[in-house]
Amino acid sequence: MKKPASATDPLWYKDAIIYELHVRAFADSNGDGVGDFPGLLSRLDYLQDLGVTCIWLLPFFPSPLRDDGYDIANYVDVNPSYGTLDDFKAFLDAAHQRNMQVMIELVINHTSDQHPWFKAARVAPPGSPARAMYVWSNTGQLYKDVRIIFTDTEKSNWSWDDTAKAYYWHRFFAHQPDLNFDNPVVMEEVLKAMRFWLDMGVDALRIDAIPYLVERDGTSCENLPETHHVVKTIRGAIDADYANRLILAEANQWPADVRPYFGDGDECQMAFHFPLMPRIYMALRQEDRLPITDIMAQTPAIPDNCQWGLFLRNHDELTLEMVTDDERDYMYIAYSNDPRMRVNVGIRRRLAPLVDNNRRRIELLNSLLLSFPGTPILYYGDEIGMGDNIYLGDRNGVRTPMQWNSDRNAGFSKCDPARLYLPIVMDPIYGYQAVNVEAQLSDQSSLLHWTRNLIALRKLFQVFGRGSLSFLNPVNRKILAYLRDLERGDGSRETVLCVANLSRFAQPAALDLSSHAGAEPVEMLGYVPFPTITDDPYVLTLAPYSFLWLELHPPTAKPAPSSSRLPAS
Amino acid sequence: MAITDPVPDMTAQAAPTGAGLLVLLAAMPQERLQGVLANLAASFPAEGLLVASPDALPPDSYPTLRFVAAPATSTSWTLHAADFVNAYQLAEQNGARAVLMLGPESGSLDLSALHSLAYAVLATEAELAVSCYDLPLYAGLVNSAILYPLTRALFASPVRYPLAPDICLSLRMAERLAGAAHRFTAIGEGEAPLWPVNEAMVAGFTIDQFDVGPRLQHQPTGPDLNIILPLLTGSLFSDIDAKAAFWQRFRPLPPVRNVVPMPRVPATGAAADIAPMLQAFGLAYANLQEIWSLVLPPSSLLGLKRLAATDGEAFRMPDNLWARIVYDFLLAYRLRTINRGHLLGALIPLYLAWVASHINLTAASADTESHIEAVAAAFEAEKTYMVSRWRWPDRFNP
Repeated sequence: MKKPASATDPLWYKDAIIYELHVRAFADSNGDGVGDFPGLLSRLDYLQDLGVTCIWLLPFFPSPLRDDGYDIANYVDVNPSYGTLDDFKAFLDAAHQRNMQVMIELVINHTSDQHPWFKAARVAPPGSPARAMYVWSNTGQLYKDVRIIFTDTEKSNWSWDDTAKAYYWHRFFAHQPDLNFDNPVVMEEVLKAMRFWLDMGVDALRIDAIPYLVERDGTSCENLPETHHVVKTIRGAIDADYANRLILAEANQWPADVRPYFGDGDECQMAFHFPLMPRIYMALRQEDRLPITDIMAQTPAIPDNCQWGLFLRNHDELTLEMVTDDERDYMYIAYSNDPRMRVNVGIRRRLAPLVDNNRRRIELLNSLLLSFPGTPILYYGDEIGMGDNIYLGDRNGVRTPMQWNSDRNAGFSKCDPARLYLPIVMDPIYGYQAVNVEAQLSDQSSLLHWTRNLIALRKLFQVFGRGSLSFLNPVNRKILAYLRDLERGDGSRETVLCVANLSRFAQPAALDLSSHAGAEPVEMLGYVPFPTITDDPYVLTLAPYSFLWLELHPPTAKPAPSSSRLPAS
Repeated sequence: MAITDPVPDMTAQAAPTGAGLLVLLAAMPQERLQGVLANLAASFPAEGLLVASPDALPPDSYPTLRFVAAPATSTSWTLHAADFVNAYQLAEQNGARAVLMLGPESGSLDLSALHSLAYAVLATEAELAVSCYDLPLYAGLVNSAILYPLTRALFASPVRYPLAPDICLSLRMAERLAGAAHRFTAIGEGEAPLWPVNEAMVAGFTIDQFDVGPRLQHQPTGPDLNIILPLLTGSLFSDIDAKAAFWQRFRPLPPVRNVVPMPRVPATGAAADIAPMLQAFGLAYANLQEIWSLVLPPSSLLGLKRLAATDGEAFRMPDNLWARIVYDFLLAYRLRTINRGHLLGALIPLYLAWVASHINLTAASADTESHIEAVAAAFEAEKTYMVSRWRWPDRFNP
């Protein structure tokens, strides 16, 4: 039976606060050292209190787990380590009861080599439908100029299969053969899997590795017109049968190359803005707004029903594919002095360690995340400033168990510590005894409380999710200033001025706000009235790494200042 | 924008024709039902009028009136979520353009009041018409102390009785309220109160308020203050939380109510005795400090300390202190600082202190409305305090 959508607004994702987590890493209910759906369900109140409105689950399907679940062996079941389908349904219902949407992964570029389709393909005769589920070659010379993504581990995009006596194509690890979208059966099976989850009530799908779905010789095999045809087919199938659902494209590409994935509003409703993220870090380290304003200037307009997905960190490395060589070198030097911090073309570190655990830097970056045009995506644990473990292989250093309290295993699991899927972070700075949810909940000044407050504030103003962006250009380039503006359906307007000091020292800012002369800014966190804007430059002084959000009220709408006088005796 | 109107002189006004008016009655005893039906028959032309009641209607008593059965709901002093679901369903099924909802004891309402409420929706652009009552001295104080000033300050609505049991809805308003009510009925909480005024303000609908004069109040049989106050404040706090994005954006204040100082008549001959209220407050002051200190900032706690040191006729709670107390409880409710049941329970002795103060302040003149308007003004003045606390709920504050 098909369940209706949990969201009533078709554009719900524009106002969403997305929280990315791995079921395996969040909470273990049965003491086997691996997180599971009952454990996650038990922590939904925490996410609701944090202000999360959409939970993005990393792959939780049956898998040999050689790529953290992105090597799927069965699209329509739950990995037994994480629970059962009924457990997933219970979690989904509980999330919906809390007005939270749920996004899952649609990893359709490739499967695991343990998927029954691949096992059958290897033994099927060449040219047969079973064989044609994947991309084969007798020579391994097709598409030979296509770049390799996992440069640390893979030497070629082709691997020889001794059983099939042929090469198979894989853009990622060799154990992840690419599906062949030239075979209509593949699309039928993908849609079948998709409907399985949407019927259950899943609200959103993140399409993994979307640029690589289709291959053509003589091309980069990325962003091909045939790939867009596949995406349109998926979107068409969703629109035909389901309301208020979302697909989000993972396309680690330049903004101009990502833009086609929105189509005319008829492909993906959302796509990650990959190039912005490293430039935020670059701007912070260089104390110069230019990297940010530059990439935003290169960002094309998108259809009204579409939205960028913004993030500071995620489960992968801080990718440096979408930067120049010089910029990449700078980022490596600036943010990964230990070579163990690097993997593939990026830096495998969490938010807090990246900024030397400086609270003001963390707050500044979060203020940008929550005020830039797009939907913010938080990575689990970053709300408490969790650290990483660079001695773990691949990207596992940023995938360690959630730190709930200072008890054994950080309250994540009751198992023998040796049984944990990955060790808890235990160093003296970021270790679970210093950094955990319970401690931060009881500390009113903690990063967790701060994050929760800022999220709640953002949610009060639709302009952050739906408004336009225009940069101001103060002479001082250490100041990043921009206006967000939204004309609401009821005829009213929301205008917010955001000013950020990227420097470690106090900075002056003189902003040209003459087009808003007469408006009365109100600082949004404390509801504090600021001096009225005039035709003269609007002068502000910002403390190191500080930011201001000022709501511009029309001239007649000035609130009275808040007093803190004692009650009359 | 809401306005307050006196009841117009209906004798000279033609009754609306082709009204499409559904009148939904609360359950009531037969003799009272007869009275209400008599009023309806006298107020509205029979064509286009449909009366819905959960009670068996007297056969042949009013042959000109059309009747339809309404689902039974619990009788109460206010309207419930289930009532609004029923109202919309009945209106839609019967093609009504407006729904006049009348609570228990509505037979005591003047004929012109019924006409005014219905006419406002049927013949003007108002989507919601509400009653403003002339209640006996010290009646409806939970409303006066909390519900009215809160909704007035936050939603910029001048409606004096936001939970008035006698209201008229347009079909559009009824549909919106049914949608809001469905959240409760879907989980078996059909008896939850609903806040039509807040819904209308968020929707940008026009509200009309009418002074309808005196009205008999339905006396609740079971629940006492310990149940009613947490129920109503909890419900309103939840609604305020859900609509934060609306009321936090600046809105002009509603026009000040033009209150003519008017002594009111006590409901009974006995003078109000504040001694038990002060005793309850004193007891709570000695025992609830731990909870109050989790909710209230130092300045409010100091104010309470001063208050606890006074008694008898000198007992006065400053209006701004009361406003901040309510705002801080609202904030604690939102943040779940402590168990919500315990939190709202801890508000009761503070409310009793306010009542005692209110009685003292108005004892000489019996002009309660002037003080209630002053309280409402204090809530409006302290709204900035509320918004700043809401947005950045740091406990380290003045």
